Amino acid sequence: MNNLEKLFAGKKGGLFMAHMIAGCPTMEESEKVAEALVKGGADIIELQIPFSDPMADGPAIAVASEEAIKGGATVAKSLALLEKVARLGKPVAVMTYLNIPFRYGISKFVTKIAKTGASALIVPDCPFDTEEGRELLTACKETQVYLIPVVSPGVPKERLEQLATDASGFVYCTSRQGITGANSKFAKELVDFVKELKEIFKLPIAVGFGVKSKEDVAELAKVADIVIAGSFFIHVIKTSSPGSVEKSLKSLIS
Amino acid sequence: MTKKITYGGAYVPEMLWDTLRKLTAEFEGAKKDANFQNEFQNLLRNFSGRPTPLIFAERATKDLGGAKVYLKNEGANHTGAHKITHCLGQGLLARRLGKRMLIAETGAGQHGVATATVAAKLGLECVVFMGSEDIRRQRPNVFLMERLGTKVVPVEYGSKTLKDAVNEALKFWMEHLDEAHYCIGSVLGPAPYPEMNRYFQSVIGREIRSELMERENKLPDAVVACVGGGSNAMGSFYDFIADASVKLIGVEAGGIGKKIGEHSSRKIAGELGIFQGYKSLFLQTEEGQIAPTHSISAGLDYPGVGPELADLYTNGRVELTYATDAEAVSAVDYFAKLEGVISALESAHALAEVRKIAPKMSRDSIVVATLSGRGDKDLFNFARAFKDESFRDFLKDEYNRYE
Repeated sequence: MNNLEKLFAGKKGGLFMAHMIAGCPTMEESEKVAEALVKGGADIIELQIPFSDPMADGPAIAVASEEAIKGGATVAKSLALLEKVARLGKPVAVMTYLNIPFRYGISKFVTKIAKTGASALIVPDCPFDTEEGRELLTACKETQVYLIPVVSPGVPKERLEQLATDASGFVYCTSRQGITGANSKFAKELVDFVKELKEIFKLPIAVGFGVKSKEDVAELAKVADIVIAGSFFIHVIKTSSPGSVEKSLKSLIS
Repeated sequence: MTKKITYGGAYVPEMLWDTLRKLTAEFEGAKKDANFQNEFQNLLRNFSGRPTPLIFAERATKDLGGAKVYLKNEGANHTGAHKITHCLGQGLLARRLGKRMLIAETGAGQHGVATATVAAKLGLECVVFMGSEDIRRQRPNVFLMERLGTKVVPVEYGSKTLKDAVNEALKFWMEHLDEAHYCIGSVLGPAPYPEMNRYFQSVIGREIRSELMERENKLPDAVVACVGGGSNAMGSFYDFIADASVKLIGVEAGGIGKKIGEHSSRKIAGELGIFQGYKSLFLQTEEGQIAPTHSISAGLDYPGVGPELADLYTNGRVELTYATDAEAVSAVDYFAKLEGVISALESAHALAEVRKIAPKMSRDSIVVATLSGRGDKDLFNFARAFKDESFRDFLKDEYNRYE
């Protein structure tokens, strides 16, 4: 049984997904970051395998990815980290950009992360209806890894309905027509959009992008089943230390 | 049997799905709309200055001792390069779509200046993203864009060059989908951009054909064009794809060596990948990280090649080769002295190839090289490449005049 399925069976809402980048600030310290996120109360860990040109991420994650790669965060090492993070007991969603699994071999990549303990895969630049999207879906189904659609307000209903036929796990919703970390003012149409998503997908809805404070989390938790914070932790790691991540997370969700 | 590779596609976040769908529909409609065609043709003729001349390089032909050499002078376009053609096409589409702003990325600044020019002409706002490294190298073009009323935004991360400018432009676009059109500067990016920019640029090949028929009453034996993303190459080649007798040769940036980071040639080291919305050949690491590139010409200093061109290369219709930085600089000098043409460093890669192949071709054969841009923008780079002392003194004096 997929770890996320277990999680959702026990707890329907009020969940928190914390994002981290493999190799940020270093490969060794990444493990400590993951431990801090688990201790701090994260329900799901989103582990990003760094890509040189992360199209859907803001400058904070782009720079952190670049530094991680420069520091030696290879795909092989990131996958080794995944195994350690998965052992911490929380469901892990692997996030990366399509060129990484494409070069690794899509089916081989999915099999590998499934064996290593990932429960879900997020590839924001791979629409489901591309050749590679189909391959990802097939491989994910075979290995019981959820392939997570990433949507945002403005995506028309007909497209959401198309995506819903293949979606599993949860839906990753960006809270504005934008990118991570740039702005924490949530799109005003978000509330309606999340309702629409719930009707169409009939899956838990995760909402992220731009969470910076306890108030942000509380605000989002009113509409979303899962609140996501990403560049927030990158900022914490950069301005203090991996050790302070636990405290920062607690202050965010307590 | 290996699986047939489908190049191109639209590998983008879902938030772009609807925007790309609407753009595709508008493009398809515009192709069949006489009003659009009239407006586009009118701007090409009476704003950009088309048709551009096909120069018979008589002295170079004699000196090289082989094929007759013709130069398709796209540098005669307004703003000095072929880029303005697809900017005009996209600018008109943007207006039809009700957008009030054009966004663009730029490396050398040529596409940025062309977009800024079109935005001013059509009454649109304009924001251009440019790597801070490129801004440092290409200040004159930044100055021109700003004079044209465009906001130039420096990109401070990554390699701080063209690919990072594309990333940043894409992100800005995703935040401003309702009001902005992203005017991508080459035959790349997600569908419909590769096809759309090739459609606008294909006027180059059609003009080469008709100008050459008028002068020589025959087709060229070879068409040569430099390849960064491939916009002038696809524009030059497209009309000749069905003419099997016409060799189509794309010339990439060989830079200073064959190691990763020393060149921008997909012929040397391109591998299949998916990046910035399209599937094609990219310079990348084993694990799929996009690799650093180098070229003396900022316009060719990019890791990917347009998907249609990658397809034509893979199926053997287009030949790819490369010229080094030094060969490009030398070719500028050669054609300047012999033909009175100062080429942009990008286009000089095609000219370098002409110097290699023309002597091996028979005297009754014809090679056409596309001079994608003129060399004015490279003034500072040329002066440095030729270690021109007097130019250095001039810069010092000029600096003092500022104080």
